[in-house]
Amino acid sequence: MTPPGGCWLVADAGLALHGWSMATVAVVAASCGLVGSLLVVRRMSLLGDAIAHAVLPGIVVGVLVGGRLGGPLVFAGAVAAALLTVWLTRTLHAAVGLAEDAGAGVVFTTLFAAGVVLVTLVAARVDLDPECVLFGVLELAAFDLVSVAGIAVPRAFLSAAAVLAAVAVLLGATWRWQVFTAFDPAAARAAGLPVTTVTTLLLTAVAAATVTGFEAVGAVLVVAMLVVPAATAELLVHRMHQVAAVAVGVAVAAGCLGWLAAWAANTSAAGMIAVVLGAIYAAAVVFAPTDGLVARAARAASLAWRVAREDWLARIWRAEEAAGQAAAGAGGVPRPRPRSVLERAAAAWLRLTGRVSDRRGTVRLSAAGAREAETVVRSHRLWEAWLGRHAELPIDHLHPPAEWVEHHLGAAMRERIESEMAAGEVDPHGREIPPEMPSPGGGPPSGSSR
Amino acid sequence: MIGPATLAAMVVPVGVPVGVLVVLAAYTPVAGLSYNTLVVLAGVAAVGFAAGLTGTLAVLRKRPLAGDAAAHATLLGVGGMFLATGRRDLPTLLAGALVAAVAALLVLVFLRRFTRTRDDAATAIVIGVSFGAGLAVVAGITARGLPGSGGLAQFLLGHTAALTARDAVVLTAASLAAVALLAAGFKEAVMVAFDADFARAAGWPVGLIDAAVVTLVAVMVVVGLPAAGAVLVTALVVIPPVAARQWTDRVGTMFLLAGTIGLAAAVAGVAASTLRPGLATGPLVVLSAAAICAVSVVFAPRRGWLGRRWREATLAGRWARGRLLEECLALADGGGGAFDSRLVRDRAGGDTAAARRRLRRAWDGLVWQAAVQPAAGGLWMLSSAGLAEARERHRRIAAWRAVLDAGLEGARDRFSLDLPPPDDPPATGAQSGSAPAAFPAGGGGP
Amino acid sequence: MTPSPPPPMLEFHDVTVAYGRRPVLWNVDLEIAEPCLFGVIGPNGAGKSTLLKAALGLVPVVGGSVRFSGQPLPRVRGRVGYVPQRETVDWDFPVSVMDVVLMGTYGRLGWLARPGRRERALAADCLDRVGLADFAERQIGRLSGGQQQRVFLARALAQEADIYMLDEPLAGVDVRSQERIFGVLAGLRDSGRLVMVVHHDLRTAVEWFDRVALIDMRLVAAGPTAEVLTADNLRRTYAGRIELLDELGRAVAERGRTP
Repeated sequence: MTPPGGCWLVADAGLALHGWSMATVAVVAASCGLVGSLLVVRRMSLLGDAIAHAVLPGIVVGVLVGGRLGGPLVFAGAVAAALLTVWLTRTLHAAVGLAEDAGAGVVFTTLFAAGVVLVTLVAARVDLDPECVLFGVLELAAFDLVSVAGIAVPRAFLSAAAVLAAVAVLLGATWRWQVFTAFDPAAARAAGLPVTTVTTLLLTAVAAATVTGFEAVGAVLVVAMLVVPAATAELLVHRMHQVAAVAVGVAVAAGCLGWLAAWAANTSAAGMIAVVLGAIYAAAVVFAPTDGLVARAARAASLAWRVAREDWLARIWRAEEAAGQAAAGAGGVPRPRPRSVLERAAAAWLRLTGRVSDRRGTVRLSAAGAREAETVVRSHRLWEAWLGRHAELPIDHLHPPAEWVEHHLGAAMRERIESEMAAGEVDPHGREIPPEMPSPGGGPPSGSSR
Repeated sequence: MIGPATLAAMVVPVGVPVGVLVVLAAYTPVAGLSYNTLVVLAGVAAVGFAAGLTGTLAVLRKRPLAGDAAAHATLLGVGGMFLATGRRDLPTLLAGALVAAVAALLVLVFLRRFTRTRDDAATAIVIGVSFGAGLAVVAGITARGLPGSGGLAQFLLGHTAALTARDAVVLTAASLAAVALLAAGFKEAVMVAFDADFARAAGWPVGLIDAAVVTLVAVMVVVGLPAAGAVLVTALVVIPPVAARQWTDRVGTMFLLAGTIGLAAAVAGVAASTLRPGLATGPLVVLSAAAICAVSVVFAPRRGWLGRRWREATLAGRWARGRLLEECLALADGGGGAFDSRLVRDRAGGDTAAARRRLRRAWDGLVWQAAVQPAAGGLWMLSSAGLAEARERHRRIAAWRAVLDAGLEGARDRFSLDLPPPDDPPATGAQSGSAPAAFPAGGGGP
Repeated sequence: MTPSPPPPMLEFHDVTVAYGRRPVLWNVDLEIAEPCLFGVIGPNGAGKSTLLKAALGLVPVVGGSVRFSGQPLPRVRGRVGYVPQRETVDWDFPVSVMDVVLMGTYGRLGWLARPGRRERALAADCLDRVGLADFAERQIGRLSGGQQQRVFLARALAQEADIYMLDEPLAGVDVRSQERIFGVLAGLRDSGRLVMVVHHDLRTAVEWFDRVALIDMRLVAAGPTAEVLTADNLRRTYAGRIELLDELGRAVAERGRTP
């Protein structure tokens, strides 16, 4: 039976039933998010996609045999269809050499097509509309109530809650095994874990979550609810149990928000939930603390800024070193020309913060500025020394690589390089290498002009 | 530079569907179908052909489901285009679908390059979210009862009954253009699919060629929408090449065969959908293709499952027979002696019940073919034919031992349990002076 | 006035290569002036393949440059032939041996044109030179390891190049095929071509190569084989990885910027 207005819409059936519908969506989303976290980490997202489609014929057969939408027979049919999908894909791979994702593509489209044809053929006998299989019949759930301790509760909510409980218990009990197998199936097998059983358990959980999701949001969007929350979580946190928790949270939030949005915009709940999921994922891509686009851009900018500052300080330091005593007398060295806009800005900043004093075209480093510059030059010359010793490079090739390595050499690495050099050793150009803790007043003049 | 080979390669793939169309058109009255139906059928045939061809490229590139992301996004394009223009003729809607398909692929590329999200998860995300967005748009349109919105749902599962002759012409033209493009850039596309690193090192713009292939797939996905619908059109692109691979080892044949299978599946699906009003065409097209694929997987001569099992079984049987003859020869003291059949079978091996059964069957075969004949006292002896066969086998085993020990060229992969003659001259007719000890091709192993 | 010497056939000038953002090959300076059989030797993961790929533009070069007879790669593509490692290929691909070898001729054909009689004859000749004349119609999956390697060599020969770069061509190949392949390479060298080979086996390196380079994330030594493969150099290359370079690479990658 197609509800009024087609099976697209959020039925206008009163607030109490709205609440229950939203609760059902939340419970379904939680199951999908939890199961999806393992699926995504195991690189089985497309298998999840395949199962989400392929359960259709199983569900239809279950409905035919059981006589109603929902109930254990439907679940059994779905699980059977899920396992059949996996088995067929693996067999095609073993028998014919067909790659896994091509095989999955062949199998699930075929099964889904068979399911749709089945639904069309038996539409008269069963309460399934061929189009509704794609979008879910959550809207119908509002009309199918059971009485639990005196409260009228939609049957769909009860079955979804039961599935969530079962999935949570099943996966929770085997959690460590699931995680180990997810990260390294070969090692898990070698360690004696029952990898096949673990995987079958996971697939059963996927099938169960898919069935409830299927009722709520239809075939294709179960895919979104399985994969997007976990993918979002992976961008934000890095430990497996955190990923699962965040995935569940994201899924539930998207489910509720999407439902409300669909009600407000008078459109399909399934569609809006997927849109909300997409929006949350996009936000994570852009704003995630370490991996987000904004964070990365900020890091790159900060690095470029530091490099510009250090380059400017180092140039002045080298000029002072070359001029030697004359610099002290003249109050500094002539101001170099900035090589880029960034360097110009860095020069202005350094002047503002007092690292560089700039008077009538003559610049001089303050003590703090000199300290910072010396660290950079020290890194530069240590690297030149190291390269000169370990690589077959002529002397004039040492400067360019040192120019960019000087910004990345940390104190620990400098110490290691120095430890393999003799005391008082100079860089390949014959210039002295500034010590780690600068002595007051810089080093004595030496060597050639650089 | 464009020689006859090139010309032929470009004309033939386009000529096949055109020929089909011409033939169909010529026989309109005989077929008993209306002109309109025939044109639609021809259009669907062209689409199926082009989809199979394009899909072969996608499958060879090892990224068969890239088209799926494009396909699911088309719904958004269709709905969006309708909202934007208010028109619902096929070319307009398909244009919107194309824009959305390409956008989905670009998003996919972006996710792959700029985020840590894994490839398969990224594909699933694009599939689910774009389809959901499309659903939200189309459902919203339908809910508001906008005029002309009723037909949008057809793009989900395919519905050719509503196609006009003009629509079919558009689809046919697009399909033939795609095929011509593929034929023109065939060698470049295959080379890049086979070994991208080599192509890049040789100076080919691999990124560009790849992008062109992906765009072609997106176009075919869009063109296939009326026939198969957004959810199932990838099947039209993925299943025919899989089926075609079973029948041939040559890339050109695989392409043409995939096109033909796609054509057949499309036509069969559409024809089947006319049996019952209201049946979506997409699922029927997919089931037709899947049926052909199942037949290919099981029955194809060399790569098919049945053939392999049969070859393995008969190979085991032949090996058992050979072992028996060996033992007969050994027990027969150089040929004339008699021996006990059970002793022969025990010595020939048979650790498992199945092996023992095989030996029994092989022995019965020897008896039936009079390779062994009964002697006095319940014993057996080799007939002259059996003796000759046993001696030849003995000779070959010794010869193979020598060849393998000498480590001659390719000896190890010429060897098979069938014991082909090891010392035949090369069978392909090449001059024997060209290469030392080159063994004849053919007689491929199990 | 003496004319300036011709530019070396292949020159790596201060080349630093990064995978993603992480430098894996540091400041390699290498010059090969004349045709020879040149071996690139080093431990696993030392960057030997990376060196080749850098020359061919297959990995990003973040510092320095590579020149072929003084020219950058785009101008001399047609003169460089590449034989990649075997693992990168799908052996179930429905192409025959002849199809693969013909791909070597595509560079000269350009877009649209199909291989004709001249290309087929050339391909047949190349197959003959590697001893696979009778295998032309076989699907490539139905060959032994050594034969597969020779198909790739034939493809490179069909490119009619002046400089050949081969990545571990003898890995997992039986001894007879190895000798045959080496024979072809020596023939190339004798006809005035530069053949640069990433090689894994020190013992045969000593026998086969005129000159070698020892690589371990940076160039340790390069020159005539006997001079370079000394105990001291080998110790510097093989014993004790240079952790400093590894850590530095990681530090650069994390800060998210290439120079």
